[in-house]
Amino acid sequence: MGSILGVNKKQAQILCVGLDNSGKTTIINKLKPKETQAEDIVPTIGFTVEKFKSSAVNFTVFDMSGQGKYRNLWEHYYKDAEGIIFVLDSSDKLRMVVAKEELDLLLQHAEIKAKKIPILFFANKMDLRDSLSSVKCSQMLELEKVKDKPWHICSSNALTQEGLHEGVQWLTDQLTSHP
Amino acid sequence: MNLRRDKKDEEDGGSSNPFQGLEKSMVIQEARSFNDTPIVPRKCCHILTKVMYVLNQGEQFGTLEATETFFAMTKLFQSNDSMLRRMVYLLIKEMADIADDVIIVTSSLTKDMTGKEDLYRAAAIRALCKITDSTMLQAIERFMKQAIVDKVPSVSSAALASSLHLMKQNPDVVRRWVNEVQEAASSDNIMVQYHALGLLHHVRKNDSIAVSKMVSKYTKGGLKSPYATCLLIRISAKLLEKEEYRDSSPLIDFIESCLRHKSEMVIYEAAHAIVNMKDTTARELAPAVSVLQLFLSSPKPTLRFAATKTLNKVAMTHPAAVTACNLDLENLITDVNRSIATLAITTLLKTGSESSIDRLMKQIGTFMSDISDEFKVVVVDAVSSLCSKFPRKYSVMMNFLASMLRDDGGYEYKKAIVNSLVGIIEENPEAKEAGLSHLCEFIEDCEHTSLATRILHLLGQEGPRTPKPAKYIRFIYNRVILENAAIRAAAVSSLAKFGAHCEPLLPSIMVLLERSLLDSDDEVRDRATFYLNILKQNQKALNSAYILNGLAVSVVGLERALHHYTIEPSEQPFDIKTVPLDTQPFAEHKVTSDVSPAARPAEKAAPPTQEIYAEQLAAVPEFAHIGPLFKSSKPVELTESETEYIVRCIKHTFPKHVVFQFDCTNTLNDQQLEEVYVQMESAEGLEVETVVPAPILKYNQPGTTYTLVQLPDDNTEVASVFSNTLKYSVKDCDPNTGEPDEEGYEDEYVRVMKPNFMASWEEIGEDNELEETFALSTKTLEEAIQNIVNFLGMQPCERSDKVPEGKSSHSLFLAGVFRGGVDVLVKARLALQDTVKMQITVRSTDPEISELITSAVG
Repeated sequence: MGSILGVNKKQAQILCVGLDNSGKTTIINKLKPKETQAEDIVPTIGFTVEKFKSSAVNFTVFDMSGQGKYRNLWEHYYKDAEGIIFVLDSSDKLRMVVAKEELDLLLQHAEIKAKKIPILFFANKMDLRDSLSSVKCSQMLELEKVKDKPWHICSSNALTQEGLHEGVQWLTDQLTSHP
Repeated sequence: MNLRRDKKDEEDGGSSNPFQGLEKSMVIQEARSFNDTPIVPRKCCHILTKVMYVLNQGEQFGTLEATETFFAMTKLFQSNDSMLRRMVYLLIKEMADIADDVIIVTSSLTKDMTGKEDLYRAAAIRALCKITDSTMLQAIERFMKQAIVDKVPSVSSAALASSLHLMKQNPDVVRRWVNEVQEAASSDNIMVQYHALGLLHHVRKNDSIAVSKMVSKYTKGGLKSPYATCLLIRISAKLLEKEEYRDSSPLIDFIESCLRHKSEMVIYEAAHAIVNMKDTTARELAPAVSVLQLFLSSPKPTLRFAATKTLNKVAMTHPAAVTACNLDLENLITDVNRSIATLAITTLLKTGSESSIDRLMKQIGTFMSDISDEFKVVVVDAVSSLCSKFPRKYSVMMNFLASMLRDDGGYEYKKAIVNSLVGIIEENPEAKEAGLSHLCEFIEDCEHTSLATRILHLLGQEGPRTPKPAKYIRFIYNRVILENAAIRAAAVSSLAKFGAHCEPLLPSIMVLLERSLLDSDDEVRDRATFYLNILKQNQKALNSAYILNGLAVSVVGLERALHHYTIEPSEQPFDIKTVPLDTQPFAEHKVTSDVSPAARPAEKAAPPTQEIYAEQLAAVPEFAHIGPLFKSSKPVELTESETEYIVRCIKHTFPKHVVFQFDCTNTLNDQQLEEVYVQMESAEGLEVETVVPAPILKYNQPGTTYTLVQLPDDNTEVASVFSNTLKYSVKDCDPNTGEPDEEGYEDEYVRVMKPNFMASWEEIGEDNELEETFALSTKTLEEAIQNIVNFLGMQPCERSDKVPEGKSSHSLFLAGVFRGGVDVLVKARLALQDTVKMQITVRSTDPEISELITSAVG
């Protein structure tokens, strides 16, 4: 189908979730082509749809709002998600348990549980002085217990784009290796 | 399912609506495909249209299904198809109120409204403002401010118009954007400037000083947009209404200067404003009329129409000013646009002299069949107002109206004609016979039952008093033979009136009524039997009580009283005197309505009718013993409108008691009153029997307290002055303060209409007659009559309140019912010399009451 349309790349719908102020919109913004990047980032209300490309995949990302009162709206978009980006604020130790709670809820949701979709974790804000390492983050979220889905965690600094490319490359590989 | 629909479409034929017969459940099912990837814009657009169609057909969506559809629709933001996106905006607006969590699209919309795609931006702003509630407004405030001053006109306009809508819920937030709005008001784009000025006015409309400042700023120049100028003219005209010294106002100069504007729209608006101002002088009017006159010969039909319509209005108040345009209006009579022609002719009719009427009527007749009913009604109104102006021309106009009556037309049209014919008959005694015979002819072939019954009633009332009553009998009896039950019943009543009034016709009428005794309809049969038996008695008193004068009770009241009687049957027969009487409305009250613009919300509520009062009073256990309500007075304000507590008094009169109802409103928001009651002290020693306090009076919530006063047995003592003190305890504040006020007034009658005064006069007889002569201080008969009617509060009968021109003496007949159901009739003979002399004769069934009324006049 793709070849008929002249688009050879795979299309993928991705859901980007995480607590408020963890840097979801900033990460997605940096992944977009330079000319479409927004200048200032404000808290998202609801969601926005963004598109960007990696080497082999065209991504359509639903960038969800992380504020507490909107998190229950995430589930409306679980059904069609082919991958999930979960962004953590690695400097916010206090709310790591909240992030874990949201992650557990997500993993137990009927629409997600049945699917073997890849989950990419960004341990964002690695540049901050008291930030946790990616290993420490994965321990706190008890990621080792997630056995039915491929997952990957990488430290990132969205402002300098450090680590972003690595994460997206992993996601691309996952999506292309399991057609 | 699809197959079945195709089949149905074929049956309907190719031209039918493709969306016909869409089912909600099916459409919701289809809307699920919004979740599919990849998105097919064409298909989704079609489904969105279907959802929109179903919604607009009035189908109710449940919250759950609406929310599901809404969230499916949000997936469509993935697509960059501009057509699809714009459809999504539309549907977001439609579903904003029925789906939950619609704020989910906030960020998507703000992204679109700040994005590069101009096609999206305006629509996104409109959708965003629709889904935003007061809690979310803060979040988008920054974007709105930017959008208002955006350089793209459509974006700026959309933001301004949306802000206008936001004003309804969040006036405070929008007020913060004033600087941006002001900047937009100096825009070069005509629409942006118009919308900005509209919003500015809306923001300031409660602050009259700010509005006049704004107006004076912009009237000095700076408005390029003709739309904005038109709006400014309207605002100025509104301001002028409130101003007292208009002549010196710069606003007048501004409006007048707009008459020389280069845009026709502005010129018209200015002329329209001048014409519609209250009590414009001829000097102010002249320039406006002359520009309208120019428009009359414009090649543009819209301008011609607007100018004629406005001149038509002016002709009502200032016919002389319009006469100058008569020549141009004459040319418009043959205008191809029939609406313009109609308006031109009716204007001419209003301004024309008596001599031109025949010609104009002939001309109008040529195209009456071409115009719509709506304009025909305009013509009828014009003709009937002409009749009152030139009573001598009645025959031309009556013939004209009668011929229109014969033509085809809807109910409203026919009703207007009948109304004006009836009006002519009432005003002009000479026209009576001709008018009645036209109406008789009309009911021979009339498809509207309500009109036929109305005419039959009129015939019964007026026919017997014409020189040759016999000629109407045939028309009326034809109805008994030919028409439906409602008309037959009306015809029977009408016949009975002829029988009661005209001795020579009585035997024939009896024969005719006997034929209706076997009618198939109950009502017709009952009426015939009833009337026949009364007529057989051949007693004047019975005739006048049961045939000539109808039942003067309020229908709702009668229904309730009878219902009450059937629930609690008693030994005594039902007493008709206990039913509240039907009051004749005061004609004078219509005029006084628009005096006080500073209306408080409490006053806006429609005044409750007597029936509502009666029900409220019946619910108070303390008043169970005082019998049925006789009359409720109009509310009287006892306090100034600015005081802390507003008290209104309504007086309810009962056979032996008076109940004063005090409606109190607490206007202090930091106080709560408890145990509120009004202490009344009477100088004449009337005794207060019971007081029902209002337990609690919260801020702005009206409460009611009642005071029951027993009336003395002596009927002559009815005028009394009470001093009232409002007593209450203020919660957590000082107790008992007072607020004295005095009032004294009397109105103890109900106005009743006695259609046949003389018969009633004879019926009551001379037993309790009192006669006295007074000299009045008024200079004209009309004025004297006004005063007498208002003073006694009785209803003038047989149109005796109208004085034929040029007469120096007149008889006024008044009728009323006194407390306790006693009929009172007053005959006043007036003679005009230097001042008016009045001889008043009062008759009633009770001598005391006759005396009371006579003394009240003196």
